[in-house]
Amino acid sequence: MERRTILTLIGLTILNLSLAQTQTLTVYSGRGQSLVEPLVKQFERDTGIRVQVRYGTDAQILAALQEEGGRSPADVFWGNTSGALGRAAGLGLLRPLGDSLLKTPQAFAPASRSWVPVTLRLRVLAYNPQKFKPEELPQSILDLPRFAREKGLGGRVGWTPTYSSFQDMVAGMIALHGEAKTRAWLEEMKALAPKAYASNPAMLDAIRAGEVDLGSTNHYYVVRFRRAGYQLGMHHFQDGDVGNLALVTGAGILKTGKNLTAATRFLTYLLSPKAQQYFAGTIGEYPLVKGVVTDPNLLPLEEALAKSPRMDFEKLPLEQALRLLRELGIL
Amino acid sequence: MTLRLPHLPGLLPFLIPALLTGGGVALPLLYLVLRALEAEPKALQEILLRPKNLELLLNTLALFFGVLLLTTLLALPLAFLTTRTDLKGKRVFAILLTLPLAIPGYVGAYVLLAATGEGGILPLPRPEGYWGALLVLSFITYPYLFLSLRAAFLGLDPSLEEAARTLGLSPFRAFLKATFPQLLPALLSGYLVVGLHVLGDFGTVSLLRYETFSYAIYLQYTAAFDRVYAAWLALFLLLLTGGLLLLEGVFLSRLALARAGKGASRRARPVRLGPLAPLAYLLLSLPVLLALVLPLYALFHLASRFPRENLEGVREALLHSALAAGPAAALAVGMALPIAYLAVRYPSFPARLLERLAYLGYAVPPLAFALAWVFFSLKGLPFLYGTLPLLILVLAFHFLAESLGPIRGALHQVPRRLEEAARTLGETPTGAFFRVTFPLLWRGTLAGGALAFIGAVKELPITLLLAPMGYSTLATRVFSYTQEAMFAEAAPFALLIALLSAAFVGVLLWSERRF
Repeated sequence: MERRTILTLIGLTILNLSLAQTQTLTVYSGRGQSLVEPLVKQFERDTGIRVQVRYGTDAQILAALQEEGGRSPADVFWGNTSGALGRAAGLGLLRPLGDSLLKTPQAFAPASRSWVPVTLRLRVLAYNPQKFKPEELPQSILDLPRFAREKGLGGRVGWTPTYSSFQDMVAGMIALHGEAKTRAWLEEMKALAPKAYASNPAMLDAIRAGEVDLGSTNHYYVVRFRRAGYQLGMHHFQDGDVGNLALVTGAGILKTGKNLTAATRFLTYLLSPKAQQYFAGTIGEYPLVKGVVTDPNLLPLEEALAKSPRMDFEKLPLEQALRLLRELGIL
Repeated sequence: MTLRLPHLPGLLPFLIPALLTGGGVALPLLYLVLRALEAEPKALQEILLRPKNLELLLNTLALFFGVLLLTTLLALPLAFLTTRTDLKGKRVFAILLTLPLAIPGYVGAYVLLAATGEGGILPLPRPEGYWGALLVLSFITYPYLFLSLRAAFLGLDPSLEEAARTLGLSPFRAFLKATFPQLLPALLSGYLVVGLHVLGDFGTVSLLRYETFSYAIYLQYTAAFDRVYAAWLALFLLLLTGGLLLLEGVFLSRLALARAGKGASRRARPVRLGPLAPLAYLLLSLPVLLALVLPLYALFHLASRFPRENLEGVREALLHSALAAGPAAALAVGMALPIAYLAVRYPSFPARLLERLAYLGYAVPPLAFALAWVFFSLKGLPFLYGTLPLLILVLAFHFLAESLGPIRGALHQVPRRLEEAARTLGETPTGAFFRVTFPLLWRGTLAGGALAFIGAVKELPITLLLAPMGYSTLATRVFSYTQEAMFAEAAPFALLIALLSAAFVGVLLWSERRF
């Protein structure tokens, strides 16, 4: 009897020790696994903190966080869009952050102060350069349907209505031009019988393969395809056009998080020159801290910022955009 | 023996696991219905009357009938050529023609996407959408029809056709009037399997962008995140599947094709092909080339561009796949054994009901099943949600029916008298089973386990929705890379799935001495 008690005690002690030693950070990532996994591995090597990542779409993660409620094991929400991060802040899921973190990025610190911007992407128009000359492409995304009609591009336009950045752009359009104009734009687009892709690379690969001729996408996908040796055109609309909408990725610490120190280290790491260089170099996004060498495919940061319309990115009317997309049978 | 009350205490070790299994299949589905009905009346009206539903229904049905037609056009001549003719090497062809079973639909779709278009391995225009989905699904599912038609051809009674010929019919008319009706049961059972595949398919249609119910469920669940609508779409899909099961049952019960006369049937004389033989070889080679050689060639080609430093990921995914599929297969066998035992030894209404439930778990489209379990576990078993045990459990519930067949078959071959002898010597039913029957079942059990294992390795939607965070298997890796059009990165994972499955298909065919 006594021996058993001692064995149990030893067992419990070992269990306890191993629990204390393996510091594990749980990250819910709306960013794609193939893009960010190498950076997570690098963080583990550099800090000795084990990271468990649950990958999903922003929408999936927001819903999971809501379903899990207080039981959620997540420490960090790493979001693909400012819209989703803003929603998490609005739902009261995020913890307010300190000045040292919020001061690091050059722009886009949110009013809620509950997440940090990490990188920037721009919406652009990707096209087949054998089909169009850059100067004939429209100056505004609002003119895209007319351009496509005149060029006879019925069935040859791609889009990604299920992708969060596309939905953000529609929300931006509602914010800047109103719901009526956005609805008209979506209906005109629909009349072109566009092909819907589940992901941006799939759409770009379709442009590569001659299945469609153009489509609105995020700039770094085009950068990636060009680096792989494929001929793809990248067109910016005129400055301030919603077709150039800047989209911020970012990360915040969840109120349910039990591992505050490790979570803060993770966020700090994302803003370190090493990580920012990875985003700029390997992924082709715009870094948000100084001193990072950018790809020659990219515009200088100031020019990129001037391309995008100015608005409160945390307050994009995403719900309204989703409802509109559903109403029109696009989703 | 039927199931009577006095048997009950001795049978409890069989009844309890069997009932738990039935519950595991039925409860989440019930919960899905409840969840769908939760919607507010106004929202419900909007959901039910969406024009998009009709579009999805038409898309799903168009693909369904298209695939049935194309697989028939493929499988019927192939089965005829490999059974009823004097062609040399027809056994080898029969095996090669079955092997495309090893290639999951999403791998087929991925190969098609990676290989075609300007800059692809095959500079052909890209068949996406309806035609792409039709091609891929037909070429990966025709083997089911082929196998069942082969069995029918081999068991066919040629005297009917001969009688038709003596009545003055041409060979073709005789085939149509006398032989073809005899093939109907095989066609129907083949259609059932192929049809379930088409309704449940998610990977192929999502990669090739063809919006069926399955694809729409996934989109609503992951991208637009409307869970009530996703639940309703899942219910629509269940209705379609249920209709299919019902139709098959009705058709089969109307057919009476057994020999009525005396005497045994004999083997048919092989048809001499003569100068037509080269044409036949061409026809036999075509599916082998398109559904086996081309995908494997493309995968090897793509894998050669795979970045070396990612090899660790391959090992991890393989391990994860094995850690999910292995226990799932063992569990499936563990659940199938009591159900098969009750069904074979105590045929009765409850036993049949349990068996039907097991098949229901298989017939329910995996995505709908997974969704039902997501809702059900979050509500009823929150500690299980997002854990490996839940994934294993649901995989086992789904693939249970695949192990049931071989185990039942083996059980039928164990003489009941052995067990009865053990009973007269004082063994309980359970004791008799484990000491006498079970040792004779290992071959069937192994085959059943192998089928469930390979099914679980290839399975995509259940794994996608229920795997714990960061738990990526071979299947989910292929899917996530191909979604991002990272075709080279996906190749080794896809290749491993195809080779593993091919090895298992080979072993199974050999152990069943099918050819």
